Amino acid sequence: MKRLLLILLITTVGISQLLAFGQSERDDESLRLAMSGNPDTLDPQATPGTLTFQVTRSIYDTLVEPDVDGEIVPALAASWEADDDATVWTFHLREGVRFHHGADLSADDVVATFERMLDEEFASPNADELGPIENIQAIDDHTVRITLGEPYAPLLASLASSWSAILPADLVEEEHDFGAVPVGTGPFRFREWVQDSRIVLDRHDGYWMDGAPQIGGVVFFIIEEPSVQLQGLLTGDFDVIDTVQPESLDRVREHPETRLDETLSSLAMVLSMNTRREPLDSVDVRRAITHAVNKEQVLDIAYGGGEVGGTFMDTGDVYHRDFSDRYPYDPDAARELLAGADADVGRTLTIAVPQNYEAHVNAGQLYQQMLEDVGLDVELKLVEWSTWLSDVYGDGDFDLTVIGHTGKLDPEGRLGDLTSERFYTGWQNAEFNELVRAARRTADVEERQELYAEALEILAEEVPMVFTGTNYRYIGLRRHVRDFHMDGKLDTYDFRRVHFLNE
Amino acid sequence: MSRYRRRGDRGILYIAVAILIAAALSALLVPVFSPYTPTEQNLELRFAPPGSEGHLLGTDEFGRDVATRLAWGAWAAAQTAGGGVLLAALIGVPLGVAAGLERRVLDPVIALVVDAALSFPGVLLAVAIIAVLGSGAVQVSIALGIMFAPLFARTVRAETLSVSQEGYVEISRGLGTRTLRRICMHIVPNVLPNVLVIATSSFAICITIEAALSFLGLGSAPPQPTWGLMLRDARNYLSVAPHLAILPGVVLGLCVFALNTVGDALSEYLDSGHPDTSNT
Repeated sequence: MKRLLLILLITTVGISQLLAFGQSERDDESLRLAMSGNPDTLDPQATPGTLTFQVTRSIYDTLVEPDVDGEIVPALAASWEADDDATVWTFHLREGVRFHHGADLSADDVVATFERMLDEEFASPNADELGPIENIQAIDDHTVRITLGEPYAPLLASLASSWSAILPADLVEEEHDFGAVPVGTGPFRFREWVQDSRIVLDRHDGYWMDGAPQIGGVVFFIIEEPSVQLQGLLTGDFDVIDTVQPESLDRVREHPETRLDETLSSLAMVLSMNTRREPLDSVDVRRAITHAVNKEQVLDIAYGGGEVGGTFMDTGDVYHRDFSDRYPYDPDAARELLAGADADVGRTLTIAVPQNYEAHVNAGQLYQQMLEDVGLDVELKLVEWSTWLSDVYGDGDFDLTVIGHTGKLDPEGRLGDLTSERFYTGWQNAEFNELVRAARRTADVEERQELYAEALEILAEEVPMVFTGTNYRYIGLRRHVRDFHMDGKLDTYDFRRVHFLNE
Repeated sequence: MSRYRRRGDRGILYIAVAILIAAALSALLVPVFSPYTPTEQNLELRFAPPGSEGHLLGTDEFGRDVATRLAWGAWAAAQTAGGGVLLAALIGVPLGVAAGLERRVLDPVIALVVDAALSFPGVLLAVAIIAVLGSGAVQVSIALGIMFAPLFARTVRAETLSVSQEGYVEISRGLGTRTLRRICMHIVPNVLPNVLVIATSSFAICITIEAALSFLGLGSAPPQPTWGLMLRDARNYLSVAPHLAILPGVVLGLCVFALNTVGDALSEYLDSGHPDTSNT
């Protein structure tokens, strides 16, 4: 009896081995990715949330897109041209592009998409990103014309960003719920979304790009706990995990079947100061606080390493200028500045920290200690994310706060916010505002770089925030996953070239 | 119930008492004599293992001394859980006495409230209360107080009921003794031992709930040293510094075990022939 069982076992194993050998192409399998949160919606126009974009980037296409180096290249628009003063832009659409529900892409879809986004009733949080658009019209079936009220250099970058995903006109007309069931032209089509559990995408066979996608689909597993993500990667339950904690980096590096994808993120990690409040309205106090912070230590310990910054730009950006030598770590200089400051520095300062971001909570504890070391009285207050958004970021009700500002493809996205009086730091500088406004209207890259360099230097001197720097973004991968691309600027994945290597 | 304890039980009781004394002593002495404060960082010496020089139980992710933080954590646990139990007793005991004495109106009303409160799963009720009050150590104490008050009320009501039907209380009432005097003279002394037993055992539960709420981010905020927060922070470093999770876990477990053992012994002692209570 025992022998019979053994024979049976050997045969079964043998057959399954044979079968496995027969389909040595693993490429019909899906990529399993562990994602650290549940997106609030899958409608790319309804949210500024990165989690949403990380999924919708694979379901939709944009007119243009950034390539691996961040250069803007054709996507749904095969070519485009602008008139001399860069206010009238004409896009020629690619032919033969098909939506997941079968309709062909035409100029009407592009018009319907942007009209929905600019519709005041729809109130898209991304509407302002499109700039001074006056009108969008379909010239013929495959030509679209966008007319601007004034020159707006960031237009192409905005059209390449995830919120500019092209939706099908017929479904826009029907007021289809794109938040629950997204339909686009992208490399993968939506199958199902089990809330707080997983989002499943299948390959879109008629995709316009030759030879893409190569895998059968993508499954986003929603796994909030980093240790669970790590365990799943090490055991092979996940092919990709989106969070690797600083302490676990070596485990992923050293494991024979996993590797680490390390890119500079597009975040500017900051300790923001409320310049409406005493004593933070004094530039001397703000400089003292900057002197007090050991930026490298904060980056290493809280954020898993990175590049030290000195102004409000992620260090990998082409517009970034290195001002990290202004007000470097020097506790003695900080004490001296505080002693001489014409402000009441005895008040207890509260650092508001969004409690769902463990890295920011850790950074908050480090900042607290560093500021106390130079004689300030500092306490830490953990707030919920929704409270942070409404009270701190919305109403400017805080002393100090720890946060990372995401980058945009264009510096306008970052610096334009600071020109608003309603921006949470409350810092205003007429010269800075003028420079940013001028750069917005300048198409010439070098000229823009100079304007922005001046603006960034004002920030480095005025320090409305401690510009700690830009962290590394770590993604854990199984070794058989090849040609995985993480777009550091948009913080989204491009799975179109991904394939599995079989040993 | 057996009037005599077995020898093994007695041994365990001694161990439990020893643990409680040790915990109390370290909670009192370490904060005074430790060269470190619980929030003091030493970024040059992160994740030092237990037994390192100058750090008996090692250091955590910010280089803070684990032994110091554990002792301060005992303080925090005693304060928050103790505050909760005290509040529960202050609410629950008067309600229980009132319900036990006034059977027509108060009793059904209080019974209804108590039953409704007890029908909630414990931690869920605490979470709901904190959702209203906001998070923090004081709020956790209040939540614990509200959570445990029904338990006190129910026990005290039953005890009051049985005591007030005793002959001498009936006689005292017949003699026209005033209600307040009757409560102080007869009811309270009889109810007190049972209150003590409930207080001890609910103190243990309060400590675990406090840790659970801190772990969920609803209790004290970092960098406060509480056991729950220490466990919460430690879960990210399980592979590099397992002592950060093991130590607070073991300390928490030991304290709860010790409190429960002492509570059981107390209740058994009272049941088995304490002069003030009848042998029920």
